[in-house]
This record gives sequence, structure tokens and C-alpha cells, in this order.
Amino acid sequence: MKDERSVMFDQVCVFLGQDIDSEPCKIIQKHLQVCDNCEIFVDKIKKTVKLYQTCNDCEEVPPAKVTKNLFSVLNLDDLCPEVDDCGCDK
Amino acid sequence: MNEIEIVKLAVQGDRNAFAEIVKTYQGRIYNLGLRMTGNEQDAEDILQETFLSALQNIGNFAMKSAVYTWLYRIAVNFGLKRLQLRKKQYGHIDIDDPDSEKLHLEHLHNWPDFNEKKVNDKHFREKLDEAMLELPEKYRTVFILRDLHEVSTIDTAKILNISESNTKVRLMRARNFLKDKLENLMSHEERS
Repeated sequence: MKDERSVMFDQVCVFLGQDIDSEPCKIIQKHLQVCDNCEIFVDKIKKTVKLYQTCNDCEEVPPAKVTKNLFSVLNLDDLCPEVDDCGCDK
Repeated sequence: MNEIEIVKLAVQGDRNAFAEIVKTYQGRIYNLGLRMTGNEQDAEDILQETFLSALQNIGNFAMKSAVYTWLYRIAVNFGLKRLQLRKKQYGHIDIDDPDSEKLHLEHLHNWPDFNEKKVNDKHFREKLDEAMLELPEKYRTVFILRDLHEVSTIDTAKILNISESNTKVRLMRARNFLKDKLENLMSHEERS
């Protein structure tokens, strides 16, 4: 039979599958305050996610050539953004 | 003009409206392909395939979901097909059954915050990318959508055609896998 810490840890794992700051996660906050292992674990998960987010700009404009090729393939060359918008070499 | 109006015009065959959709989402779709495959040429191919498919099918788009959900679903499907073709290139680690008891026995110590110098370290970033590519695609795709593109759990589930609870479990496993990889990377750097 699992002890209380194991059960709580399982819940942490399940809840961490959601947004870390979501409402269900608040339920376990009290536990995390007194459990060093869980607290450090959560902190590392947060830092891992934050690190990957910092290193990734998901709205980054593709290279100009990629945009130009895309609009060409779509037969939308005449609507390809100007240089200032996407670096597209019209 | 808001997005719904633009999409309505695109559905009716308006080229300018469709071009606006392409301009709005090309960056996100390209990034999604790049993160899924780790390869610029594949990312470009996925980008073109996605919008070609969207252009061919936009007339049937019923607008029951947001256009980005629709585009992401198309892109993810093309990305997964491409990965299937290249599957032998990557050695995947089985993380279906993570050993939670082992996690309890970890010698836990705090990490420092990652400073700007660390984040901009080319070698360090390459290692991060390598770690993500070691994730099996079913976990990697969830991580990309949920944590990098900030797609909601419910939309991620719709895009991948899986349940919300499955989405949460996959996300947890992906995050834990990457945390462990980062742990190893930092330990290695401390020793060298």
C-alpha cells in the first residue's frame, strides 16, 4: 500500500500534466510547502518548461526564401508580403 | 476585419483572405514542423503541404473550430507522416512506464535560474534540441503544442484526436523526460 507521500506525489504528477498554475494544482500547494522533494521536483519541471519556451519563438517568421517558396507554391506570389513584413524578396 | 470575417471570405474563395491566413500562421506552422522534425527542409515541406491542403479544402471548412486548430491538425498529420518515414533515424527511449518510485529516491537539489548567457549558449541549445528529438513523437508533439505553442489541453486533444486525460499524461511524461535530460546535461557540465 502506498504511503501518503507516494499518493500525493502521484497527484503532483497528474496535475503537472495541466497548466502548472491551474486551479487543481493549488490543491497540492500546501503539501509542496512542507515536502522538499516535491517542491524541488516541481521547480525543476517549471524551469525546464520555461527554458524551452525561452529558447523557442513559435511566432518567428520563417526565412524569406521559405515564405517566397510557400506563396509561389500556393500561386499567391502577387500577395507575398513585402520585405518589411517577412523579408520576402519580391 | 477580424479573423472570423477573414476566414469566411477565404471559405468563399477569396485569395486575399487566404493569403492573410497564411501570413498569420506560417510562422507557427513552420516552427511546429521544425520542432517536430528538427530539420529545416522537412519543416518547409510540412509548411507547404499544410497550406496546399488547406487551400484545397478551405471551401469545406465548417468553422466549427478555430482555423488555427484546423491548420495545426493538418500540419501535425503531415509531420507525423514524415516522422514515420524517418523513424529509423532516431533511437527512441521508452518512457511509457516511468518509474515514479525512482523519482522519490532522486538525490534532489535545486537548480539555479538559467541566465541569458546560458540560454544563448549555442552548444547548450543544441543539446536541448537533441533532448527534445529523443522524445517519441507522441510525447514531443504534445509538448510542442501545449508548452511551446500554448495550445489549450482541449484543443491539443482535438488536434491529435486523443482524450484530454491522455493529453495530460503525455505532457507530464514529456516534461519529466526533458527535466531528466536537463539534469544529466547539467551534471555533465558540472563535472567537466
